[in-house]
Amino acid sequence: MADLKAQIIQQLNLQEVKPEEIGNDQPLFKEGLGLDSIDALELIVLLQQHHGIRIANPEDGPNIFYSVRTMAEYITAEKSKTA
Amino acid sequence: MKAYIQGTGCVSAQDSSIFPETIREYEGDRLPVADPDYKQWIDIKQIRRMGRVIKMGVAASHISLQDAGVKMPDAIIMGTAYGCLADTGVFLNKLVTQQEDMLTPTAFIQSTHNTVGGQIALLLGCHAYNNTFVHGAFSLENALQDSLLFLEEDTSRKVLAGAVEEITDYSHTILSRFGLYKNGVAAGEGASFFVLGAEKDEQSQAELTAVEMLYKPASKEETGSHIEKFLNRNGLQPSDIDLLITGRNGGDDSYYEAIEADLFATQPVAKFKHLCGEFPTAAAFALWMVTGILKKQQVPPAIMVKGNAPSKVKRILIWNHQNTTHHSLILVSAC
Repeated sequence: MADLKAQIIQQLNLQEVKPEEIGNDQPLFKEGLGLDSIDALELIVLLQQHHGIRIANPEDGPNIFYSVRTMAEYITAEKSKTA
Repeated sequence: MKAYIQGTGCVSAQDSSIFPETIREYEGDRLPVADPDYKQWIDIKQIRRMGRVIKMGVAASHISLQDAGVKMPDAIIMGTAYGCLADTGVFLNKLVTQQEDMLTPTAFIQSTHNTVGGQIALLLGCHAYNNTFVHGAFSLENALQDSLLFLEEDTSRKVLAGAVEEITDYSHTILSRFGLYKNGVAAGEGASFFVLGAEKDEQSQAELTAVEMLYKPASKEETGSHIEKFLNRNGLQPSDIDLLITGRNGGDDSYYEAIEADLFATQPVAKFKHLCGEFPTAAAFALWMVTGILKKQQVPPAIMVKGNAPSKVKRILIWNHQNTTHHSLILVSAC
């Protein structure tokens, strides 16, 4: 999850945010990190670029991107399908 | 139509707020902006989506609004020749390297010329007239003329007007290949903003008396004649100008010198591009500097080229040209 946090910080250009400052279960949008819809697009691109994962159903987005933990679980689950 | 400059803000190679007491000098062929701490004007969450030129523009606009005591302008009118070059480069690079796939929105959003004006408006919550002029070396001048027209329609309005430009490694390399930066000419960048009002009040620092452009004059004689007629149209002779500020850039300045010798033989002459560098909207820096000179009635010795700095300054003419094709005349007077 530390790597994923570093990827999020880099992709979203979260200046002055350190990976350890992002809680595993902290909401990414609204409260918490306060991300918005443009960030959501950036996170979709992050999944494609860094992990080769395309989100098939856009309605799953809110659940996948709820927190770093939900993102990490989704990545693990998707990678295990193709392993 | 004339206007009164009621607030100024500048982000340049010079410090933004202490002119003319301290002047920073640089060497080399590139004068980068002395970046202030942008977080004093921009929220950390918003700053991450802003390229340098946007931050420069937002900062300069905020400084000018604070200086004027204006919270919400009635228009945002600005000029830029190159726009948001850095993010245009980022976006185009990704377009090529990622074969037009998986392009992220942020660089694209930041790459358009009117992003700076848009970001200023977003941060202010300003839904008023917002226009960005992209006319090469006439971008600032068109923005100023539009501002004057806007004020003529309603004299109670306040206009936030200005110009921005940035250098990037790509642009500097490409423009160097075109021969722009040779023989001592240094590339520059910066943002300057002004709050303009039609009515003179206690905030007024200087009078923007007139702005004109001259495109591709056939000869130096035509340029000289145009400058003289411009002054005549404003009820002045060349001898009425207390200080002529030219766009000398250290390269071939013979064009300026020839007309100065003819029209302004006895007037003091100054320059400004050794302080901000050469860029298409550099005259905005000159206008910022001139407003400070007229307000403080103090001419920095470092800008003088010919003659002595006048102790009392009533009228200043800024004459800038790019490649002898784009001539800009900005007449500024003391209030």
